[in-house]
Amino acid sequence: MQNEKSDILKTVTTVIAQALKVDEAQVQPGSSLIRDLGAESIDFLDIVFRLEKAFKIKIPKGELFPEKLLTDARFVQEGKVTAAGLEELKKRLSGADWTQFEKNPQVSSLGDLFTVGMIVEYLSGKLAATNR
Amino acid sequence: MSMKRLESRTALVTGGSRGIGAAIVRRLWSEGAKVHFTYRAAEDQAREVIASCGGAVSASALDVTDAVACEAVVDEATEKLGGLDIVVNNAGIIRDGLFLSMEDTDWAEVIETNLGGVFRICRAACRQMLMQGGGSIVNVSSIVGELGGVGQANYAASKGALNALTRSLAAELGPKGVRVNAVAPGMVRTDMTGAVRAVAAEKILERIPLGRFAEPEEIASAVAFLASDDAKYLTGQVVTVDGGLSLLGRR
Repeated sequence: MQNEKSDILKTVTTVIAQALKVDEAQVQPGSSLIRDLGAESIDFLDIVFRLEKAFKIKIPKGELFPEKLLTDARFVQEGKVTAAGLEELKKRLSGADWTQFEKNPQVSSLGDLFTVGMIVEYLSGKLAATNR
Repeated sequence: MSMKRLESRTALVTGGSRGIGAAIVRRLWSEGAKVHFTYRAAEDQAREVIASCGGAVSASALDVTDAVACEAVVDEATEKLGGLDIVVNNAGIIRDGLFLSMEDTDWAEVIETNLGGVFRICRAACRQMLMQGGGSIVNVSSIVGELGGVGQANYAASKGALNALTRSLAAELGPKGVRVNAVAPGMVRTDMTGAVRAVAAEKILERIPLGRFAEPEEIASAVAFLASDDAKYLTGQVVTVDGGLSLLGRR
């Protein structure tokens, strides 16, 4: 069954390795796409396209990687994510681990939240909802 | 037997039933590419182009101002050809007229076709190219995009913006292996330039150092070069193919 997390992780690992041209062994659940795997902004789109194809799903714009949110003055001020922004982000990135980020919510370190594991969590919820 | 330059490459050409577009379809096909092209209304001419390629290319009708249809054509071509390595955005129109008497529709149709059409085709095609790990896009611009021209405010604006779009896409998509370039023809012997040539052939010829108008095939050869691996380190460029017309134009 595709929805088992280990299966999802396997596919996600392959997808990310291909999109970022890295070795699959480098792609670990805790790997940050930006910090550890060198992803740039266009790579996030590439990953979304590949995930849509691999899992035969539609990922609405901004649902997995909320890029537009970061240029919204309500959510980001002087380089920091506001309380409202944090609330909004948490709603969208339910699979992310917020403990480190909340201590110092710099936009520049937001990329650290985008991990392989977060994508697996997102897909696991998404696929469960689709199959329900 | 030596491999043809575009052997096993897959290509989509918009506006391929006539003029420069038809020459591009034939050239890419003759260099070994698998080609699908689009045409807006000239179905009979599209059939002739298919026949001239021995029935080995395919075509479908497309209005490039229709976003949904653009996506569908890119999907259709990708499926039919088994991938999408090359996209040539050639579809374009003119609605010439003096600026002060230019209608809103003359402006909008030209911009939406010549510029918006490329935006829509590229957005759909680049998605596929990203997943394939690369590709080559060639946009057919015009020297008027840099020089401007009397009676062509709409056309010149669309082509100038197309050059900027070309450079921006090249910068954005280069890291994913997608090259984006443009060819800027001068005066080419096609139906589209028939009216201008009829009234001003002598005047224009005087300004062309090579002393003649271009044949569509001479634009197609530059397009094929940019699409091929011979140009694999070339991106974000607008290559002028005008027999030197723009040199004198700037004098």
